[in-house]
Amino acid sequence: MPTLQFAPFSSVVSPAFWHKLTDLKIDVLKLSDEAVPITGTYTAGKSIFDRETGQEVLLGTGFSVGGESFDASSTTSHDESTLPGASGHSGNAVTATGSFKNFNTIEEFKALDKTKYFDEEAQKIWDSIIATKSTTELNRFFVITFADLKKYKYYYWFSFPAFVSKPAWEIGEGSESWKSVVDVLSRDELASINAQLRAEPTLPAFFLVKRARGGSQGAPAIGKVEDYETFFTDVPTSEVRSSSLPRSIRSLASLTKRLRRSSSLTLARPQRIVSFIDPSPDPQNPGWPLRNLLAYLRALYPESTTSVSVLRWRDTEVTTPTPNTVWKSQIGTVYLKEVEGAAAGKRPSAVGWERNPNGKLGARLADLAPMMDPTRLAAQAV
Amino acid sequence: MQALQSSIFAMREYLSPVLKESKFKEHGRITPEEFVAAGDFLVYKFPVWTWEKGDDSKARDFLPREKQYLVTRGVPCLRRAQSLAYTDADEDAERLVSFGEGAGGAEGDEWVETHAGRKASDNPGADSAALTEIPDDDGDEIARGVGGLSLGGQGDSGAAALDTPDLDDIPDMEEDDLEEGDEATAAKPTPAPSAGNPTEALRSNLLQVRTYDVMITYDKYYQTPRVWLIGYNENGKPLTPQQIFQDISADHAQKTVTIEPFIHSASLQAASVHPCKHSSVMKKVIERMNNSVVAEQLAQQAKSGPSSATTPGKEKKKWFGRKSSGSTKEQIATQEGDDEPEGMRVDFYLVVFLKFIASIVPTIEVDSTTSF
Repeated sequence: MPTLQFAPFSSVVSPAFWHKLTDLKIDVLKLSDEAVPITGTYTAGKSIFDRETGQEVLLGTGFSVGGESFDASSTTSHDESTLPGASGHSGNAVTATGSFKNFNTIEEFKALDKTKYFDEEAQKIWDSIIATKSTTELNRFFVITFADLKKYKYYYWFSFPAFVSKPAWEIGEGSESWKSVVDVLSRDELASINAQLRAEPTLPAFFLVKRARGGSQGAPAIGKVEDYETFFTDVPTSEVRSSSLPRSIRSLASLTKRLRRSSSLTLARPQRIVSFIDPSPDPQNPGWPLRNLLAYLRALYPESTTSVSVLRWRDTEVTTPTPNTVWKSQIGTVYLKEVEGAAAGKRPSAVGWERNPNGKLGARLADLAPMMDPTRLAAQAV
Repeated sequence: MQALQSSIFAMREYLSPVLKESKFKEHGRITPEEFVAAGDFLVYKFPVWTWEKGDDSKARDFLPREKQYLVTRGVPCLRRAQSLAYTDADEDAERLVSFGEGAGGAEGDEWVETHAGRKASDNPGADSAALTEIPDDDGDEIARGVGGLSLGGQGDSGAAALDTPDLDDIPDMEEDDLEEGDEATAAKPTPAPSAGNPTEALRSNLLQVRTYDVMITYDKYYQTPRVWLIGYNENGKPLTPQQIFQDISADHAQKTVTIEPFIHSASLQAASVHPCKHSSVMKKVIERMNNSVVAEQLAQQAKSGPSSATTPGKEKKKWFGRKSSGSTKEQIATQEGDDEPEGMRVDFYLVVFLKFIASIVPTIEVDSTTSF
């Protein structure tokens, strides 16, 4: 089975972020280089149809920070106060929390022990998994910056720590590799999932899907990843565990199993589905958030997660599903080889520094002089 | 000079009264309430759009606090407007191109550009027409690798990389040994960007698209919505004004589109389409839209008309109405009032507006409202 590869985030920094940073640096932070909590957002992966060539063009897996990223309270107050009617959320972005650390000189920026700092941040994510079983920190990120305010130049380096699984996750082959979600779930089920997601106060980054007993007829239920155990108690892991059933049912179960095998629908109907809002439009590589979600499931529920049905939800923009709706989400099954003596509870190593446009590990530079420098603005004004 | 102008405009907008009466069909202008209604509709129908509250100090009191302006982020822009203008023009088209204050030429220089649709502009930082050969100005190794690998082998991605100094190239700040311990694993579970494996070729068109943040504000003076643009290149770096103008149709670039302070932020600059002609254009578009909507509604009524007449209950009613002499005229009058088609509703205003904006920025896929 091929190794599962994850599409890394690429940061998109709105100029408003640098403006806010400038204000913050001058008025609040001054010479402090303490880490400041910020938020960032990502949306489901997009692709558009190129009208000229007829090709489908995949867009990057962007991770945005903007002026609002500094409203430290935005994550907590966002869901209640700012939304009209409090029924359902507006927007289609997932909010992630993180921190930002601004240095006073470029030398300090360079001199930071980045390995150590990264490790501390990764440890925070791991602690949140082990201690609180919360998924809110799974998308935690951080950015280190140096702002050359006089030249309107901003050096920055994003990092999205993600735990490395050893051995690596593998994606199933054939009917278990990534395929369109309509091949597995019915349109009614998708519409139901969509409606339930839209009714949430904020778009959840991760969620669980439990299919109704009756197969594709009933509406599937949606649950929090935190409730993994209770939510899936009545759902078999992958196939019917026949030994736990009474005899008459057992024979029935084996009969249906045989029937299923003979038909083409073999195992095409997973019951336990783990899902996340996928920022990657790439049909092969799911987005970065899945990495930590899988690490989370492995750490907390090792016995039931050697194979996981993963739903890559990308249909956050569907408002009123029709029979003609093109569902972009994908579903597949990922596997992890059992390894003897795998140290349980030990923190795996992590990766996640963003690469610069040259594909190297290095800081990036935003030159805002053309948009901020008054003399240059005056020059281009008509 | 421009700052002065901006502040005069700001003053003028401040002094002008808030439009109270609905005039959108007559003048193409809308009231703040209608702006909010149309915005709500847009947000509901197309969740790519969201309301923003903006800077507290810049809040407009005639708009709800949480609904100051609309924003959509990451709107893709596949190619430059210049190239679009040329592909459907004739092949040998020649045109005077002014590079003005651009980095490319001296002020006021004009060039004759031929076959413009075929080749990349000489202007540094300009991208070429075809998507597969976008030579991103940062010398992206992916693009270079892919270009050499399979796709067409135009080879100009490598050439273009030499054209421009690489801003992101900060040699002494690359620390490739940072994740040394993870290098082996990173190569496997993360798609190593520069690895020339076949899947990379398939994803070649990833990350090479410019994106825009598009904002729609309400302009009190012109009583129309106003569009603002902030662009990013394929690496998420903000575009310069010159680069933004490449994405605006030649009729508008540097004429009605200018870089101005964004009205809901204390310091942010954004490209904006000046709204002075918006209302007249909107009026025309709305008239046309309205006519078709009215025609459709009439057609629907005509369809439902006979069918309702066949239902016995209705027929009886009519019969009665006719029998009772004197009230006949009245009834006809009321019926006419009922049947008057409503026409286009103001909710659609922004949907229409986006279609109009799409003509100014033809390559920015701002109009996601394809179902209308």
